[in-house]
Amino acid sequence: MLEVENINVFYGEYQAIRDVSLRVEDAKLVSIFGPNGHGKSTLLKAVCGLLKPASGTIRFNGREVQGLPSHKLVEMGLVLISEERHLFPEMTVLENLRLGAYAKRARKKERENLEFVFGMFPKLKTLAKKRALNLSGGEARMLAIGRGLMSDAELLAIDEPSFGLAPILRTQVFQQIVALRDQGKSILLVEQTTGDIAEESDYIYLLEDGRIVFSGSKDEALHTEAVRKVFLGIT
Amino acid sequence: MREFAEVLISGLTIGIVYFLVAVGFTLCYGVGRVLNYSYGSFFTWGAYLAWVLAVGYAGLNYFLVFLIVLPVMFLFGVMVDQVLIRPLRRRPEFDFSVLLVTLGLAVFLDNLVLVIFGARTKSLPEFLEGSVKIGGFTVSWQLIAMFLFALVVAVLLFAFMAKTRTGMSMRAVAQDPVGARIVGIPLFRVYAVTFGISTMLCGAGGILLAPRFFMTPLGGWTFLVKALIIVIAGGLGSIRGTLYASFILGVLEAIVGWQLGLLWVMPFWFLVLFLILLVRPAGLFGAVARKG
Repeated sequence: MLEVENINVFYGEYQAIRDVSLRVEDAKLVSIFGPNGHGKSTLLKAVCGLLKPASGTIRFNGREVQGLPSHKLVEMGLVLISEERHLFPEMTVLENLRLGAYAKRARKKERENLEFVFGMFPKLKTLAKKRALNLSGGEARMLAIGRGLMSDAELLAIDEPSFGLAPILRTQVFQQIVALRDQGKSILLVEQTTGDIAEESDYIYLLEDGRIVFSGSKDEALHTEAVRKVFLGIT
Repeated sequence: MREFAEVLISGLTIGIVYFLVAVGFTLCYGVGRVLNYSYGSFFTWGAYLAWVLAVGYAGLNYFLVFLIVLPVMFLFGVMVDQVLIRPLRRRPEFDFSVLLVTLGLAVFLDNLVLVIFGARTKSLPEFLEGSVKIGGFTVSWQLIAMFLFALVVAVLLFAFMAKTRTGMSMRAVAQDPVGARIVGIPLFRVYAVTFGISTMLCGAGGILLAPRFFMTPLGGWTFLVKALIIVIAGGLGSIRGTLYASFILGVLEAIVGWQLGLLWVMPFWFLVLFLILLVRPAGLFGAVARKG
């Protein structure tokens, strides 16, 4: 579904992503791990049209999409759920969710997806009239994910969904993500902490200094010395 | 006392029309991040276009005038955004370059008025003649027409921003442009529509206020300054703030004009702005930190 080939991304003169290639197959959960500041968020932004790669190709469902603006990608079924969330602060939870269904492909299924999101995050339903700036960290995180789901995307690029959440919430969020994969969505997940999510990932990449230093299945990861160290938090 | 009440009514009417002009400016900045220095020239052109249609050549009635001028101004605004402003957005130093370009556009538009219409002041006659007595007060039909028209536009605007998908997308872009891109809102289209609406509101204000002020090629600059003061006093980017500030300053203008004469209006406006900023540096409802 998603093929990234040899992309390079720069911030001005600074090169953040070096020659990165990766794939996400249909209905698979692919995780990118790695230390902070090494390019994971940049990679997702480049995939989702917020940044333009200087070179390389990105193919979504067979079509070349590198350099396309994000609104075109959302129409095609690729959505980013950003680490900084970027919710609309003065708007209510409900308004944020409705805007998540802005794309034409999502509008027809707005009511259906709203039911789905409220089913997954019942708390959001009770908070429907609350403005986004008044939400707690965990609630905002749930809203960001819910808003991303409203786009009816086939591939969700999720950037550190568990960041800043209490352990119970983190587990809950991971469970929701796995459930989404089980329901047929493809997921490209970026995370810093590993452990529980690594267990469920179909494929794992390790990103260091803007480069992919490891790619393989979960079992291969645990059997590779350098990677296991990262997993066990020894860096 | 009765005279005061009539002044108050006049002030509220002026206030609501100023609101239209100022809110167009606020939208342009809040959504499009553009401080539009040609806003005054748009105002002038709105008034002159109305003059051409109502007095100069066509002799149309005012209803038709609005029906023609408003869409024309909307399209003009969209064109300016796409042709002049959009190319600047991708480039560095946007805030500065857009200032220069809109200033240049203002000079061009003002001189175009001068060339076509000449420097002599023109006046637009009132839409309706005569007055009516309501509960002991005498109110001119003109004032009622201005108030009602501006009220309808304001209500439509609020409904548009709150309920329609386009209106919500404009609010989204104002609150978090990156978030807007993430949910799939095409930014450039929103910028174009916003600029069009902003220009249209400005033109509407120009037509409504023209009968009260003499029309000259440079007349719009006063209204650019007034719009700026209202918008800063209310809080840059806040529609609610613009609403309150418009009424406060509109009533102030009526009262000062009545007691001291029109020349004292601007000094008092600046004084009130100064006082507001002393207490609330970001304006009445201004956000201290903006996202995006």
